[in-house]
Amino acid sequence: MGTAERVVFEHVSKRYPGTGTGNPGAVEDLSLEVPAGKICVLVGPSGCGKTTSLKMVNRLIEPTSGRILIGDTDVARRDVIELRRSIGYVIQQVGLFPHQTVGENVATVPRLLGWEPARQRARAAELLELVGLDPGRYAGRYPTALSGGERQRVGVARALAADPPVLLMDEPFGAVDPIVRERLQNELLRLQEELAKTIIFVTHDIDEAIKMGDLVAVMQVGGHLAQFGPPAEILANPASEFVARFVGADRGLKRLALVRVGELELREATTARPGEDAAAVRPRAAADSFPYVLLVDEANRPIGWLDERRIPASGPLVVDHAEAESPLFDRHTTLKDALSMLLEAGVQAGIVVGGAGAVEGLVTVEMIMERVRPA
Amino acid sequence: MIDWGWIADHIGAIAGRLGQHIELTAIALVVGFAISLALSLWSLRRPRAKTLVIGISGILFTIPSLALFAAFTSITGLSLLTAEIPLVLYTLVIYVRNMLVGLEAVPADVLEAADASGFRPRERLLRIELPLAIPLIVSGLRLASVSTIGLVTITSTIGDAFGGLGFFIKERPFFLTEVLVGAVGSIALALAADAAFARLQRRLTPWAAARTAVDPR
Amino acid sequence: MTLPGEVWAWLTDPAHWTGPSGIPMRLAEHVAISAVSIAIALAIAFPIGLWVGHTRRGVRLAINLANVGRAIPSLAAIGIVVPFTVLIDPDAGFKVIPTLIAMVVLAVPPILVNTYSGVAEVDADLVEAARAMGLRERQILGRVELPLGLPVILAGVRSASVQVIATATLGAIYGLGALGSYIVEGVAQNDDGKLFGGVVLVALLALLSEALLAFAQRRTTPRGLRAAATTEPAGA
Repeated sequence: MGTAERVVFEHVSKRYPGTGTGNPGAVEDLSLEVPAGKICVLVGPSGCGKTTSLKMVNRLIEPTSGRILIGDTDVARRDVIELRRSIGYVIQQVGLFPHQTVGENVATVPRLLGWEPARQRARAAELLELVGLDPGRYAGRYPTALSGGERQRVGVARALAADPPVLLMDEPFGAVDPIVRERLQNELLRLQEELAKTIIFVTHDIDEAIKMGDLVAVMQVGGHLAQFGPPAEILANPASEFVARFVGADRGLKRLALVRVGELELREATTARPGEDAAAVRPRAAADSFPYVLLVDEANRPIGWLDERRIPASGPLVVDHAEAESPLFDRHTTLKDALSMLLEAGVQAGIVVGGAGAVEGLVTVEMIMERVRPA
Repeated sequence: MIDWGWIADHIGAIAGRLGQHIELTAIALVVGFAISLALSLWSLRRPRAKTLVIGISGILFTIPSLALFAAFTSITGLSLLTAEIPLVLYTLVIYVRNMLVGLEAVPADVLEAADASGFRPRERLLRIELPLAIPLIVSGLRLASVSTIGLVTITSTIGDAFGGLGFFIKERPFFLTEVLVGAVGSIALALAADAAFARLQRRLTPWAAARTAVDPR
Repeated sequence: MTLPGEVWAWLTDPAHWTGPSGIPMRLAEHVAISAVSIAIALAIAFPIGLWVGHTRRGVRLAINLANVGRAIPSLAAIGIVVPFTVLIDPDAGFKVIPTLIAMVVLAVPPILVNTYSGVAEVDADLVEAARAMGLRERQILGRVELPLGLPVILAGVRSASVQVIATATLGAIYGLGALGSYIVEGVAQNDDGKLFGGVVLVALLALLSEALLAFAQRRTTPRGLRAAATTEPAGA
C-alpha cells in the first residue's frame, strides 16, 4: 500500500466571528506533529475543539490563523477538491449514500478520480475483504440492509479506497454497542499493522484514546492543548489538574489498557475434540494444573469448557458435556478490557483466538495481575 | 340512459379530445417541471428566495382558474399560450414545495461524507442530492399531474378549440351521455396518471425496499 | 384607456355597486354558497375524520376516497350532476344545486384527510398518558387530540375553501351568479373592465379567505409545535 504522510499543526486557531476565545468549537493555538504512519488521538470533553481541529485538516472548516501541513505542503495551498480526494474521512453516522450499493459506496473516490469501472469494482472487493465483509455477499446490497457495525466497516473501506496517506476519523465507533465497538477497534488496529496510515482519531472516551493512540492529544474547552504525548506518559505524568481529572482517578487501572493480550505469553489450553475417547483425554487434563479442558471443533475453534472432574471414565466426549462459556479475546484486546470481561463473566480464564477463530491460548486473571505488578 | 350509439359515432372526436387532453397536460407538466426545478435549486440555500418563490406560487395557486384563463384570453387571445401559461403557473407551487422538501431531506451526514470524499458542489447535486430527492420529486409530479388534468377541463372555457375531454362536459350540459364521457373520462385519466406515477415512485427507489433483518455484528 | 384604467373605472363605478347584479349582491352570493358548502362538507367529513383518526380504522378507505376525490375536476363535478338535478327543478337544478353539490363533494376529501391525520398524528405518548389518567375515549378526543390536531384540520379547511371558492366561480358558466358571472359576462361582452374586475374580485376573495384561515391556523398552533402543514394544493 502507499506511503503515509506526517500531519503538522502550526499555531492553528479557529475563532468564530462575533465571539471571543474560549467558545465551544473554537481552537486556540494548536501545534503538534503526527509522524507518518502513527495514530494520533484527539481527546477531550464536548466543545474542546477536537472535531474542529480534525475538520481543518481536510478543510471542511478553514482555520482563522496558523497552518496545517501534510508532508511538507500547506493544505491551504492545495486545491481543496484534490486535497479531500486524497484524505480518508470516517464519521460516526457513517454517511453512506443510501441510493448506492455498498460496492458503489466504497468505490466513491476511485470513481471521482476517473478509474475504469473494472478497476473500481476490483478495488471495492479488495477493501471489503480487508474490513472483514465478503464482497460476494455485500457488494450488491444497500446500506439500509446493514447493521451498524457493518455500515461502519463499509465507511472505513470507503475512506481507504483511494489509498490515502492520511485518514481522519471522528468518533467512528460511537454509534455501535460496546461489544461491536471493541471488535471494530481491534480490527482497525489490525488494519493499521498492515497499512500503517497516518490516522487522526477524535473521541471523547479516554479509554479509547489510550487503547488506540500512539500519541494522545488531550484538549480542553476553549480549544487549548493540555497535553500531547504517548498514552503511557499521559497516564504516568498528567501535565495539569485538568488532564489528571479527565484521565480519571483510576489511572492505575487505566494503565492496564496500555498492554495488549498479544504481549503476554499465553497459557496453553488443554484441548479435546468431541468424539475423542475420554480415556485418552484424562491423562492430558491431569497433567495441566488448570482444572478445565477446552472442547474445540475441527478448525480448532472453541466450543466450551469441560470440568476435569466430570470427564467420564471412558467413551467418546460429547458436546453436551461442555459447560461454562468464556469471553473471547484477540491479540489487540487490552488487558483492561480483558480483565473487565473476565470479572463480568465471573470466570477464571478467557480464550484468545486468532483471525479465523482458532484457539491460540488462554489468559487468566492471575496472568493479568502478574503483568502489571511493578517489577 | 347512456346512448352508446352516440359514443360509437363520435369515437374519433373522443379520441381526439383525449389526445388533446394528454397533450395539454404533458406540455404543462414538462415546462412546469423545468421552471420549478430551476427555482428550487436557486432558492435551496437562500431563505429569502425560498419565501419569495413559495409565496408567489402559492398566491397564484389560490386564484380560481376560470379567472386566470379568462384573463389570459384577453392578453394572449385564443392561442395555446392562453391555456398553457395558467396551467404551468398552477404546477409551480406543487412542484417547488415537493422538490425543496426532497432536497432538504438529504441527511446531513450524507452531505458531509460527500464533501469530505471530494465531490464538487455540482457533482454532489447531480449524484447525491437529486437522486435522493427523487421520491419526493416524483410525488410532486404525481400531484401536479392530477391537478393539471383537472384544470385542462376548464380550458374549455377559453373556446371550443381547447378543453380536452372537458369539451364534452360543457358542450351540451343536459345530454347525460356526452357529459359522462367528458366527466368520467377526465376522472379516469387523472386516476390513471396517479397510479402510474405511484408505480414509478416505487420503481425508482430500490434502496428503500432493502430493509432486511439486521445481523448484529 | 389602459387596462388597469379600465378595471379601476369599472370597479369604482357606483352603478356596479347596486342591484341584483351589483358587486355586493354577487359577493354575498359567492360567500354564502361557499360557506354553506363548507359547512355541509364539515358536517359530513369532520365526524368521520375524527372517528378514523381516533380509532385508526378505515384509514385505507379514507385515503383512497381522498385520492379519488382529488382526481375529480371541478367542471366534471358540476357537469355530471346537471342532467339529473335539472329533472327535479329546471331552474335551481341548473344554476345552483349542481354547483353546490360539486362544491361539497370537492371539499370533503381535504377536510376528511386532514381531520384524520390531525387527530392521528398527535403524539401517541400524550394519548397514552391521557388514557392512563382515566380519561374516557370521547374526552381524549375532545381534550387532547382535537385541540392538538386543530392546526392540521384548519389546513384542510383552508385547502377546501380555495377549492370551493374556485368552483363557485366556475358555477357562473351554469348561471350561478356570484362573482364568476363578471368573468363570464366580461368574456361574452368583450368588456375587459368587467372581465378583469371580476378577476380581481375573485382573486381578492380567495386570498382573503386564505389569509384569514392561515392566521387562524397559526393562532391554534401551540407555540412549541411547528404547524404540520398538510396543505394539499387543491386545484380549481
